[in-house]
Amino acid sequence: MLFRVDPTSTVPLGDQIAACVRRAVADGAAAPGERLPAARALAESLGVNVHTVLRGYQRLREEGLIELRRGRGAAIADGASPHRARLLERIRETVGEARGLGLTSDELLALVRTEYGAG
Amino acid sequence: MNRKSVARAALAILPFLLALAVDLLLFADRRDRLPDRLASHFVGNGRADDYAGRTSYLVVTTLVLLGTGLLWAVMAWTGKFTDRAYRTTVAFGYAVAGFLGYLLAVVLLINVDAPEDAQGRGQDVSFPMGHMAVALAVGAAAYGIGLLAAALGPVPEPAEDAGPGEKGERIELRAGEVAGWGRGADSWWLPLTGLLVLGGGVVLLFTATWPAALPALVLGLLVLSFARPYVTVDRRGITVSGLLPRPRIRVPLDRIEGASSREISPLTEYGGWGYRVRPGRTGVMIRSGEGIVARLASGRDFAVTVDDAATGAALLNTLIDQRRTDH
Repeated sequence: MLFRVDPTSTVPLGDQIAACVRRAVADGAAAPGERLPAARALAESLGVNVHTVLRGYQRLREEGLIELRRGRGAAIADGASPHRARLLERIRETVGEARGLGLTSDELLALVRTEYGAG
Repeated sequence: MNRKSVARAALAILPFLLALAVDLLLFADRRDRLPDRLASHFVGNGRADDYAGRTSYLVVTTLVLLGTGLLWAVMAWTGKFTDRAYRTTVAFGYAVAGFLGYLLAVVLLINVDAPEDAQGRGQDVSFPMGHMAVALAVGAAAYGIGLLAAALGPVPEPAEDAGPGEKGERIELRAGEVAGWGRGADSWWLPLTGLLVLGGGVVLLFTATWPAALPALVLGLLVLSFARPYVTVDRRGITVSGLLPRPRIRVPLDRIEGASSREISPLTEYGGWGYRVRPGRTGVMIRSGEGIVARLASGRDFAVTVDDAATGAALLNTLIDQRRTDH
């Protein structure tokens, strides 16, 4: 899996690392079961803090894209599919736009519920 | 071109066939004077501790010499060795054939006229350790003959590629962007081999002395630490790491000239699987198939078999370009 981060970007490094994995799953480049580098090794590879990597991994775990198994490292979760990864990418975009418009999370969720109700 | 390949393969297998012929002729000549069960395995002081029937001596001798001979023939035929690496490879085959052929002949000769016990086992057979030194000398002499034979025989065609890297793929990186690539290279045989060797070491620990068990224990632990290897390409170079931070195999970026991804045949190009050092090339052969091949500044190749090798090789070339423009 290819990781690329830009330390000069305003996007937090942990989010950039998470985005790489999301992108790889969405592209089909990373399939369920594929191992991610150990957090310490990836941190050394990219020259970032190990906690930054762990923050990114933690985020991916909350999104259900990876599994963190004690002693066995991180791997793409069985439930991770390109569709799910693309949905997560779109949710990120949507939240970004909502922030730009000054919407609170409650207001955005209300809009999402309305959309669900209409369908 | 094809005829030349066959000639090279024949040249590579020749010493093994010669050694086999010598051993078989010796056996045919002395078979009436051999015990039913030959002393076939010897411990440190040269005393025999295991025996083999005459048929199994023949079978083992034939299989060992033919098997190793075929391996070398295949390497000489399809191993894609460059001129000098080809000569060294062939010569090393001659050395192995000389060494094995001599030892197998000695085992036969020391059993000649040995008195038999009730089970037909050859008695009072010992293996003078001086033979080991002679076997090494025979191997060294055969190495020289092999070098000469390979130089006089047909040489391989010049390699088709002028070296990977120049025309290889790149990955577009923005200014200031840092990139790394990693991929697991799991296989079923690495953990199994590690466990078997370690298990053998534990058995030796209880049945033999600890100096005999130590090498197997150390090797078993070493293989087990690489039970689930991970291949990384980043600003530091190419790394194959195991379960622990060390040991690891790393080729620093500044020693790499370029990289490509291609299909690798471990048997013909590297003579087998595992960590392989061959004339002109070093390889981490985990399975057959796609892998990254890095051309080093020293002219050697470093290869590792791994999935998605194209991305790894492309990043390696990108990082090398960056290094060159930085200096």
